Amino acid sequence: MIEVSTDWYLTLAAILFSIGFIGMMIRRNALIMFMCIELMLNSVNLTFITASKHFGTIEGQISVFFVLVVAAAEVVVGLAIIVSIFKKQSSASVDLLRTSRG
Amino acid sequence: MLELLLFAVPAGLVILGALIVIFAKNPVHNSMGLVLTLASLAIIYITLNATFVAMVQMLVYAGAVMTLFLFVIMMIGVDKPEQTREEIKGQTLLVSGTLFILIGLVSFVIINSGFKWDLYFPAVEYSLEGTPDLIAASLFTEWVLPFEIISILLIVATAAAIALAYDTKVRKPK
Amino acid sequence: MDNLLLVIIFLPLLTAIGIKIISNLVNELLLNYLTINSALLSFATACGMFGLLLADKFKPIHLELFTWIPSPEILFEFTLDGLSGIMMLLVTGLSVIIQIFSTSYMSKDSNYSKYFIYFNVFVFSMLLLVMSGNFLVMFFGWELVGLSSYLLISFWSKKQSAAKAGNKAFILNRIGDFGFLVGLMLTLNTFGTFNYEEVFSEVLNGNRESLSIIVICFIIGAFGKSAQFPLFSWLPDAMEGPTPASALIHAATMVTAGVFMLVRISPILQFSETGKLIIITAGLLTALIAAFSAINQDDIKKVLAYSTISQLGFMFIAIGSGAYVAAIFHLVTHAFFKALLFLGAGAVIHEMHHEQNIHKMGNLKTKMPITAAMMGIGTLAISGIPPLAGFWSKDEILASTFANGGFYYGYWALSLLAAFMTAFYMGRHWLLIFHKETGNDISQVHEAPKAMVRPLIVLGIFSLFIGFINTPFFHGLEKVLEETLHYVEITHLPEGITLIILALVSIGAGFTGLLLAYLIYIVDILSYFKIKIPLKEEIKELSSNTLYLNKFGEIIFVKGMKSFSRKTAVVVDGLLIDGLVNKISSLFYNSSQKFSRSQNGFVRSYVVYFGFFMLLLIGLFIATPWLLN
Repeated sequence: MIEVSTDWYLTLAAILFSIGFIGMMIRRNALIMFMCIELMLNSVNLTFITASKHFGTIEGQISVFFVLVVAAAEVVVGLAIIVSIFKKQSSASVDLLRTSRG
Repeated sequence: MLELLLFAVPAGLVILGALIVIFAKNPVHNSMGLVLTLASLAIIYITLNATFVAMVQMLVYAGAVMTLFLFVIMMIGVDKPEQTREEIKGQTLLVSGTLFILIGLVSFVIINSGFKWDLYFPAVEYSLEGTPDLIAASLFTEWVLPFEIISILLIVATAAAIALAYDTKVRKPK
Repeated sequence: MDNLLLVIIFLPLLTAIGIKIISNLVNELLLNYLTINSALLSFATACGMFGLLLADKFKPIHLELFTWIPSPEILFEFTLDGLSGIMMLLVTGLSVIIQIFSTSYMSKDSNYSKYFIYFNVFVFSMLLLVMSGNFLVMFFGWELVGLSSYLLISFWSKKQSAAKAGNKAFILNRIGDFGFLVGLMLTLNTFGTFNYEEVFSEVLNGNRESLSIIVICFIIGAFGKSAQFPLFSWLPDAMEGPTPASALIHAATMVTAGVFMLVRISPILQFSETGKLIIITAGLLTALIAAFSAINQDDIKKVLAYSTISQLGFMFIAIGSGAYVAAIFHLVTHAFFKALLFLGAGAVIHEMHHEQNIHKMGNLKTKMPITAAMMGIGTLAISGIPPLAGFWSKDEILASTFANGGFYYGYWALSLLAAFMTAFYMGRHWLLIFHKETGNDISQVHEAPKAMVRPLIVLGIFSLFIGFINTPFFHGLEKVLEETLHYVEITHLPEGITLIILALVSIGAGFTGLLLAYLIYIVDILSYFKIKIPLKEEIKELSSNTLYLNKFGEIIFVKGMKSFSRKTAVVVDGLLIDGLVNKISSLFYNSSQKFSRSQNGFVRSYVVYFGFFMLLLIGLFIATPWLLN
């Protein structure tokens, strides 16, 4: 009988985070990069919930709330930025945005 | 066995959804993959006794945020194929290097620990149900100041979104 | 009662500020009223304080105003003892007399109020200097007198020569001030305090490390301020200033600050044989060179300027031979008769309509009898004719030098030569101005106004009798200074017959000098007997050019410094500093150009960098315990 322990959840969170980060590195569509950010945030949420279960406290779940709200705010602003970028160059590719070039 | 099943199936779906997110060509497919991930995560949350968070996850993420994503996808169109050829010099090399380090680190940790992960703090025996009243009791007493501050953040974000997306040209008289 | 000291010191400053405020509103008369009354009040308070001091047997009065610097604790403090009391009386008293003279001399000048502002600032600074309770306060006053001296020298700043003279005085003074400043630092480093008494008691208790170098630093400061060889050439040029200001600053008070300071530090000075030897040698050289230069000057004021330098040399000789009382005595008498001579010269210049060449004067005694008489008293006093002031003090200096014995006999003989030359050039000065029939048109010349003549008379009376404050029969000044010089070894006068012989010798030198001047310049004995002095023209040239020391200094220092600084500008500044700065900036520019390539603007690159280094960090974190074991 294999018991599902805390490590499993943490491993899942790590895998999710890595996938999200790889997506950040290889995709150039701003929208999809945002989705990758969501993936990473969710992996962190999973860690919080796991810790909450592990330690038997409620604070982990409270933190998830705050992360959720910050993520929502970030999505709102980020999508607004994407829209305005798209208006400017009619493409969502971040490779075309090189104003921060040194 | 049920417990293992309840973890393995959603976990597999989470990873599948995540892979769809990063590899699918069509943005709509990407977003559907994200929905799959988020919903599966909600199931995992339930198995972790965080029922209220799971509900909120479904409502806020899979509901509101995904609607927003789909809305933007509709707005900017899906017919433009993403360029696939790598343009940035050395990007491929760097990405592979980073991945290599990642894999190396993980392997090192796994091998070094001998497949036995002992957490420093042992898990508690009892289990805490993340019910709405329990969360509210904590959120509105101990955490009320951060809660209020985060509400300000939301308002600022909303105002920022309006300011960014607002097209000034529309208001210009001819 | 001690707070009255503040009245004496700060009243001139308040007056200066007051004049500045009201100068546009009032006429000269009201301004005179203000400044002279405040000077009188200051003088009266000074007299009162001196009386108090006298009643208390010259026990020093200390007044601590506030803590200036907390660590090491340096107070803004004042001391009133016999030494500063005398200087205080001298400064405030002469300030009254000379201001009265100035009201007439400076009247109708467009910058009338400015003159009195500067004058009062000077008096304030000088009082700060003499009544200071520690070295730092003294330095404060020391710098302020330098500043006000500069302002008064270049008072007629539209004249280029005046502006240049002011600069020269200021710059040469800086050299001395530099020495003073180094001395201050060394003092603080060695003794940890600036307070006179604490420093002196440390020295008397045997803490005499690096004493010589401190003393030499202070001596350099004194040389700069008191115009001693080789820093004296600014004083003749300083005569560009208004004559009354010269009388107060460049004859009576400021230039004696160096003497005052050396007497103040006499408890330290007495242990430094090197220092004393430097002082007496420089003093003697100064006295001789200045007296020699004074012989052939044509400018009425420049003669007096060189004479001042020469007399200051005498004071330094006194200090060098350990006769501190004699130095202060000569300082006091010299202040009176030199102020008298300067004011008399001022009166003559005023009546001659700013003609300063003595060859264009002559036989003025018929037109200006009182001025001539008073100048005559001054001339006799400086020449050392008894019983006038100069005789007592100069004789005391010569006798003290003689009393030291050994090679000091040589110093004595040369000092006697300088005294003889003093009598000679002062006799020439007076005779050429007031006695010699030259045929110059002097019909327009009248006796000076009363406001000028009366101060002259007052000073004349003082020049006659001030010498009696310290005669071999009555040691008044010595008693005044007794408390100040309590632990100082003073050279005493020789006793009995030696003293009388020495006095006779110095009187003889004075008379001979005057007589020779009369014979040469009035009777014209040289052409009468057809005496040919060998190399006469060359000597004349040498004298009027101050042995070419000025030119020498110009070639060595000014030209050398100019070419050196030009080279420095090119090599050090241009190549080294600029090159270094440019190199560094181009280094940063080039490297930033290279680094900026990594900022390619691609968000994904940044993400990769971020992830890459994050993983490295995590790897380090994981590996550290493993590596350490």
